[in-house]
Amino acid sequence: MYHLLKGLHEYLTRKEEFSVIILGLDGAGKTTLLEKIKTLYNDTPGLSPDKIGPTVGQNMGKITLPSTILKFWDLGGQRGIRSIWHRYYDDCHAVVYVIDAQDRERLGEGWEVFDSVLSAPQILGVPLLLLANKQDSPESLSVEEIRNDYEDWYRHKLDSARRTPGTGSEGEHRRERIASLDVMGISALEGTGVRAAVDWLFIRVQNSRRREEQSNNS
Amino acid sequence: MGLSFSSLYNSLTSLVHWSKEQDVRILMLGLDAAGKTTILYRLQIGEVVSTIPTIGFNVETVEYKNIKFQVWDIGGQSSIRPYWRCYFPNSSAIIYVIDSSDRDRLSTSRTELLTMLSEEELAGVPLLVFCNKQDVEGALKPEEISEQLGLAGGEKGRDWSVRGSCATKGEGLEEGLDWLVNAIQKK
Repeated sequence: MYHLLKGLHEYLTRKEEFSVIILGLDGAGKTTLLEKIKTLYNDTPGLSPDKIGPTVGQNMGKITLPSTILKFWDLGGQRGIRSIWHRYYDDCHAVVYVIDAQDRERLGEGWEVFDSVLSAPQILGVPLLLLANKQDSPESLSVEEIRNDYEDWYRHKLDSARRTPGTGSEGEHRRERIASLDVMGISALEGTGVRAAVDWLFIRVQNSRRREEQSNNS
Repeated sequence: MGLSFSSLYNSLTSLVHWSKEQDVRILMLGLDAAGKTTILYRLQIGEVVSTIPTIGFNVETVEYKNIKFQVWDIGGQSSIRPYWRCYFPNSSAIIYVIDSSDRDRLSTSRTELLTMLSEEELAGVPLLVFCNKQDVEGALKPEEISEQLGLAGGEKGRDWSVRGSCATKGEGLEEGLDWLVNAIQKK
């Protein structure tokens, strides 16, 4: 009887775990975002922003939401260590890409890297959220401007690709993906928009799982 | 009856006490002459002491941000490396020290590290790698060492960070500890 009740209790309170990876250029604010998420959702506060330096390695965070546990992996963004990202693609349920909306000079570089994430075949079906960080700064581009900037960049890229024949083909998947791309503005430093981003992740990982189950059943 | 209650009370409070008093145990490992002992005493008394090769271990309690660490600095010579494993149980974190200027032995250091990380007793334990001796000319940068260690992707179950340090000047040590404290607390 005890084991039956125990089993029932475990069944009712079980939580599913989802993995989220946080990517972006160095200095975009990935670690600051992760630590802010930890501060907002956990009892023990994360590292304060002045203690955060460039990441060489991996920081993890875990937050508990209703019937769900989100596990975050924050990976270093410096040029030499971006090559490790793809090793995390296979096991992740969502991808967050952080862009520094204030650093206009590196937007192009940021888009190039974003583009490689967006078109990585392993994560084509995985929810992808673009975060325009540093909205606390008055010089930052707004969400709308960030979206336009990316689209401009992308159009430009397509144009130059068309001029070199043979490379102009573009997957249907990809076009769809760009059309349905969600962009949100946050300030990882102050915490504005962070809860909304986590909510987005919470909903999207559940939905994508359901779709998976449906396709398995059919 | 009163007696049994009071003895129960006593044993309960001692239990609570015991768990509070318990120090956080951190292992500091690495090849010989990487700078482990220098880091230990730099952290503890804030000074550079002259050291000799450690045979056996040094244990010191380091108090940092109101947390008491019991830091075990274990000798790194090849003959005594097999004994590292005796210290693995109940460790909350590992600090692995690498001599960044010793290019010849980096692969040895890597092998020792990976062997250690594969031990079940250390599963999920946060790892801080100090790329020490950054002041030496020609020292490898943390990014380069990280790439050669090849931790990325293989170590998804733990927090890890590769950082530069210079024990003799005290650079990088506090930042590393801040990161480590944060990683330990989260567990």
